Amino acid sequence: MSEPAPQLVPLNAVFATDFVQILVPVTTANTMAEVAAAVAYHVEGKRVRAQPYDKVVLYHGERLPAEMTVAAAGIKPLDFIAVEYDIPEVS
Amino acid sequence: MTLLKREEWQGFVRDVDWSYSYVDDEAVYPEWHSGTGKVPREAWAAWEESYKVTYPEYVATQREKEAAVYAVKGALQRSTLWDSLSEGWKSATKMHFGGTAAAEYAAVLAELKMARFGLAAAWRNMAVFGQLDELRHASITTFFGHEFISRDPQYDWTQKAYQTNNWATISLRNLFDAMMSSANVVDIALQLPLVFETGFTNLQFVALAADALASGDVNFANMISSIQTDEARHSQQGGPTLEILAEHDPVRAQWVVDKTFWASARALSALTGTSMDYYTPVEHRKQSYREFMEEWIIDQFIRTLEQYGLRKPWYWDEFLRGLDIWHHSLHMGFWVWRPTIWWRPMAAVSPDERAWLAEKYPNWEKVYGDKWDVIIDNVNAGNAAATLPETLPWLCSTCHLPCCNATQSRDGTWRVRDFSLNYDGRIYHFCTIACRQIFWKDRGGVNHETLIDRFLAGQVQPMDVGGVLGYMGLTPEVMGDDPDYEAWTRDYAGRPAEGLAAAAQS
Repeated sequence: MSEPAPQLVPLNAVFATDFVQILVPVTTANTMAEVAAAVAYHVEGKRVRAQPYDKVVLYHGERLPAEMTVAAAGIKPLDFIAVEYDIPEVS
Repeated sequence: MTLLKREEWQGFVRDVDWSYSYVDDEAVYPEWHSGTGKVPREAWAAWEESYKVTYPEYVATQREKEAAVYAVKGALQRSTLWDSLSEGWKSATKMHFGGTAAAEYAAVLAELKMARFGLAAAWRNMAVFGQLDELRHASITTFFGHEFISRDPQYDWTQKAYQTNNWATISLRNLFDAMMSSANVVDIALQLPLVFETGFTNLQFVALAADALASGDVNFANMISSIQTDEARHSQQGGPTLEILAEHDPVRAQWVVDKTFWASARALSALTGTSMDYYTPVEHRKQSYREFMEEWIIDQFIRTLEQYGLRKPWYWDEFLRGLDIWHHSLHMGFWVWRPTIWWRPMAAVSPDERAWLAEKYPNWEKVYGDKWDVIIDNVNAGNAAATLPETLPWLCSTCHLPCCNATQSRDGTWRVRDFSLNYDGRIYHFCTIACRQIFWKDRGGVNHETLIDRFLAGQVQPMDVGGVLGYMGLTPEVMGDDPDYEAWTRDYAGRPAEGLAAAAQS
């Protein structure tokens, strides 16, 4: 049986310290790394200064693994996600 | 022949409440229009305006006002005054013309509704004057804006803006439809004359008049000051209505006042906040938006609430915090999405302007400074294209403005947070907690689609930036751009840049 075709998932997203939530379309097949990049595309280096760290997707306040897909995370159309720099904590 | 004094005859001719013999009162004043609710029908007989006027007096006064305004306009038409105005100030006027001209006409209909369905003869009489006022405001605003079309096609949006599906227009229409068009007259009297006209028109008509004069726009200052003298009279329909409603149904009175104050504050932060703190040249600014709100709006609103035995709204702390955020974020939003608006938003973040902002708003640099710095570096690196949008801002399902209100965390950082709820199988997002609460309690906004809703439903075709601009009625000669990038970036030229700007520099 073939994999179902990826479905469009329009999201309400905010990137790090940006001033506004934006519409970002992704698909059910996108990984969190791809989702983070899609959100960052509109903001990083354009309004928010780029930082040399990985990015992480937060969904309902929880960090999602970079390789997890939108479908596996249960993220639905119109849901809200935040993308943050994954800044290592200084001990 | 000896004429009677006004006070001897006015009540007699004004109070034309007669007894119906063929229909009952409900047929003449149906609940869905008249909205008496829990207030006994007979209680409205006590409705009394504090400042009385007769039709001959009204006509004489209005004639004088019109003559004065048009005399100034006529004299200035032959001058070169308009050419000397700053682009920033012109933007403030374009925003005003497009945002208010047709809204004034909507107010005519609201006043006419009160003139027909108001529950006391004195109220209906006052509303007749009110609708004449609003008709004058619609006419004068449209006419004054029309004069400039030959010099700048953006002024065509004086009349056009309200008829389009521009996102800023959708937001304003959503506000005014709820305030003026769809409500019963008791709610209208609280929403329009009491909250909006007694409170918030001071912002646009008094604060902006001062900035207009300082900016050299005598004509505009004269026009809006003349309009404000009408507002001061017909806005008194609110007080007597609230007095009666608050006595019989204080819960309803509190709710209608609370939600309208909030909705008005959201809209005026976009309209007046940006004009006062960014578009008015810094040397001409009389007060900051926050200072004006504190002096002219907040004190008066609190006094009104106390006078009628109402409480401060539940959202008061959130509202006060918003005075430091809402209009700054909306300004940045207007600037970033500048092709979607009918004026030319000046970024106005030169070092002098930032010093003024930081003095008036101590957190400004922390919340907005670095974002403007990234934008500035991109412009100075010749990469202004990186500052243009390629997607839409998410719009609040209550106020229809972008969800752009950062709040401070316990650790001191500022983040834009999501305030959402699930209703009838779908998720709605809001810019603030209070917008969410109003949506939930009223449900009036459930079927009002934001531009995002329309876009995702396929109403905007093609589904790209060009399609969105076309849907909003924007044509190349009208869509906004910054009028003078160099004015606010030149002082930062030469500093080391990072990221995209650095790549563009190399």
